[in-house]
Amino acid sequence: MRRTSLLATALMLAGGAIIAAPAHAQEVGVTDTTVRIGQLGALTGPGYLYGKIIMDGAEIIYQEVNKAGGIHGRKIETVRQDDRCDPATAIAAAKKLIFDDKVFMIHGGGCTNASVGAFPEIKAANIPWVIFASVGDSLTSPPSPHIFTTALSASIESVSQLEFALQKGAKRIAVISQRDAWGRSRYQPLMEAFKQKGITPVADEEIIGEANDATPQALRLQAAKADAVLMVIYPKAAAAFLRDAHKIGYKPIAIGQTALGDLPVLTKQVGVPEAMSNMFAISHVRYMPEDAEMAQWRKLFSEYFPRETMSLYHILGIASAKVVVEVLQRAGKDLTRESFRAQMAKLTNFDTGIYPGPITCTEQDHQCHKSAAWVALVDGKIKTVAATTVGR
Amino acid sequence: MLGYLITSGLALGALYALVAIGIVIVFKSTGAINLAQGELFMLGGFFAFMFHVQMGYPYIPSLLLAVVASFFIGALTYQFAFRPLMKAGLVSVLLASIAVSFLLKGVARNIWGGVGDYIPFPPMITASAINLNGFIVLPQQLVAFGASIALMLLIVAYFKFTRSGKWLQAIADNVKAATLVGIRVGALHRLAFALGAASAGAAAVLMAPLTLLYPDIGFNLFIKAFAAAVLGGLHSIAGAVIGGLIVGLVEALVAGYVGSKFQDVSAFVVIMLVLVFIPRGIMGGKAMRKV
Repeated sequence: MRRTSLLATALMLAGGAIIAAPAHAQEVGVTDTTVRIGQLGALTGPGYLYGKIIMDGAEIIYQEVNKAGGIHGRKIETVRQDDRCDPATAIAAAKKLIFDDKVFMIHGGGCTNASVGAFPEIKAANIPWVIFASVGDSLTSPPSPHIFTTALSASIESVSQLEFALQKGAKRIAVISQRDAWGRSRYQPLMEAFKQKGITPVADEEIIGEANDATPQALRLQAAKADAVLMVIYPKAAAAFLRDAHKIGYKPIAIGQTALGDLPVLTKQVGVPEAMSNMFAISHVRYMPEDAEMAQWRKLFSEYFPRETMSLYHILGIASAKVVVEVLQRAGKDLTRESFRAQMAKLTNFDTGIYPGPITCTEQDHQCHKSAAWVALVDGKIKTVAATTVGR
Repeated sequence: MLGYLITSGLALGALYALVAIGIVIVFKSTGAINLAQGELFMLGGFFAFMFHVQMGYPYIPSLLLAVVASFFIGALTYQFAFRPLMKAGLVSVLLASIAVSFLLKGVARNIWGGVGDYIPFPPMITASAINLNGFIVLPQQLVAFGASIALMLLIVAYFKFTRSGKWLQAIADNVKAATLVGIRVGALHRLAFALGAASAGAAAVLMAPLTLLYPDIGFNLFIKAFAAAVLGGLHSIAGAVIGGLIVGLVEALVAGYVGSKFQDVSAFVVIMLVLVFIPRGIMGGKAMRKV
């Protein structure tokens, strides 16, 4: 009798254990039917281009994946938090995504200063973070195990500016820059690049990012006979410089970085279309919204956002989300943060069809995007006119 | 080069002067510094953007509507933020104006934050430069320069020739005496804040094609305009214009001849020097003891 009851108890316990145990331990933010992705970036304020608009682009990919049945049977859920391009707000937003929303990973990061603010919190949480637009070198150098970027870095942009000026045959190259944290992160590598090439800029002018007038700077650059001006400035200062340079009849090759990549908008800000005739800027992506290659995305965009106009930043979101989806696919059915990280670090020569070059990450190099597309206005329309690839 | 620097300096100075006029109107009438004056400029610009660009009204009606809307916002901010604190002292009013500046910025971010980064505003005439006897200038800069002089004359005439203008000066000179003779101090304070906001609204419509519009434009403009107002004398409308033009000229000339890295700091160095020797500002007059 005693033996029978012991056996029954053992069987009951074993049965209970079998019922209670899940098929496998689930990762945070992952269920058998969903994977939750946190989107971090500016949803309001002037920086919304690098946040909300890119997220909208990414959303197209995620919704299309869901329509096709998800990844390994899991639908993608997204949760957005607004960092308002502000470091303090970004810390709170990252905490909310990690601890309240319990997301599997973060796909986001627009304004560099906000991303740098959120960086320690995300790094400490060991949560995968694929950055879509922030260009601060410190975010991926030195590499943190779970943090990767599909955006260009500030130093790659700066070196590319000089490379492009030389490609264009410029002989007397000058710089106009703003010297806040954003500007310095580009200005210093730019000066290093000058040094490495053994070139001295013929003029090195400073301007504040919120400048309303740039006549003195334009006059000084003109007096220095600079035939190319590398612009390390925000769109507002760039608009003032291009307008005032045109006003005084000064027409150098104007070479901007990604902050000036939306040339149609910059033209409206300058107010004088002729002032844009010699303007080039870096774009993270190879194609413009109206290009034939973007037809399928244009069609989907108009379905998801019928009242809006597709921009360069939407395309950037689409490209970056394609990388995320590819890595989720490769990470397999048993998705964990570690398996995602491992697959991300192995991603080699992945062609999104949108970035100017392939996406390649390694364990040592989490700067996965190194090719800059150069855009200009051709017959009033933004076109890709060249590409440069540099190392960091 | 000198000609270009002078014209661009005067145009930049006109911008500072237009904002400084609003600061002086409020200070002259209430003794308070409204730190939200830059945000009132910003809001005036967005009102004009809403009427002219988003709703498609012509330029002049949009300008007038933006000025009227700014006037009411100025009156509202007084009623709800400043009036309850006027008796608590000017430090409390100053702190309230900081709160108002953040509030207005937040409102603008929520309403217009998703429209663009730096929002362009069409110019009154043309965006292309014109040649005036060898000087290439932007027509909008001429408009802004002329408008700052016109606005200055208008405000000076208002204070000198209208009854409410004289009352505003009376309460600024001696609130207690003004109250004793039956002047409604509260209503006049409200009018001063509303007028200050209206002038900021007018300035914004005139300058928006040059400054572009974004919710964070206010603070930087306020700093330069406040410096201009202090330089010219905080009690003087003409001083605000003169101070603004000097700040603009100094910035342009120093950036052109000394170096662009000194542009931002140059105006403040001049102001410090002026204040050491003329503490009440260029047009501040002699200090008088109030009785």
